[in-house]
Amino acid sequence: MNPSQDEAEVARRLRDTIAGQFGRSLHIRTLDTGSCAVCEQEIRLLAAPHYDLHRLGFFFTPAPRHADLLLVTGPMIRAFDVAARKTYEAMPGPKVVVATGACALGGVYPKDPFVHGNVGALLPVDVWIPGCPPSPLALLYGLSVAVGRLAEKAPGLTFIADGDGGGA
Amino acid sequence: MPLWFVRGLRRGVVTTRYPARPDDSAAWLPRPPAFRSWQLTREAADRMVAVCPGPALSRRDDTLVFDVGACTACGRCAEAAPDAVAPSGEFELATTSRSALIKDIPIRGGGR
Repeated sequence: MNPSQDEAEVARRLRDTIAGQFGRSLHIRTLDTGSCAVCEQEIRLLAAPHYDLHRLGFFFTPAPRHADLLLVTGPMIRAFDVAARKTYEAMPGPKVVVATGACALGGVYPKDPFVHGNVGALLPVDVWIPGCPPSPLALLYGLSVAVGRLAEKAPGLTFIADGDGGGA
Repeated sequence: MPLWFVRGLRRGVVTTRYPARPDDSAAWLPRPPAFRSWQLTREAADRMVAVCPGPALSRRDDTLVFDVGACTACGRCAEAAPDAVAPSGEFELATTSRSALIKDIPIRGGGR
């Protein structure tokens, strides 16, 4: 086993341990770093009866000190640097950062003097959720990936639709 | 008395697995495009790169580089080259690696 494989194995085991510690009670703090509020709209809908994320053991909390997971939306405006860093530092470990939406992934403001352009520029992101906005279903899937309950399938997709058409 | 309540009392479980059944609303979700590589020419690729409002599409020689994370599913590429673009139907795209969202689409059309 070469060193990089070894590291990957250790990282995988660490991620499993952390996911196990979160168990079925994970508290989410949302952080808006300059989004247009449509991502927030979708996040709010997660608590509606149709999606009902509380059944899965996810809860929203207004206090970063109570939060296990930071759900970040928006392109990370520079004016928000101090607040974002303070929020992250106030969270107890182990903590997970989830970048949500195309803005947070660098798809909307890649080069703009007022924003960093993506959340990864300031915070260590663990899970990326694409979409503009990501639907509540996509968010639920992303949260499940973040706590290791579902396997991610994006690496296996090609986005080539040859043959019978449709399907990635 | 609702049926799910009775079932829950009997089994002791009222929640369902994810997803309990395919969600009908998934058909209306914004979803990134997939590309038909044999219909894709360099000209069509350049047209799509030009209309893409973000950095989601770029061309590197005979490869169309598609950043799924940067895609806002606006559908402008499908208007610019309707033959080469098909709906992907994928929305469960969350990943732990940003680079896993950058896809290389080979450009196989145009007699090459």
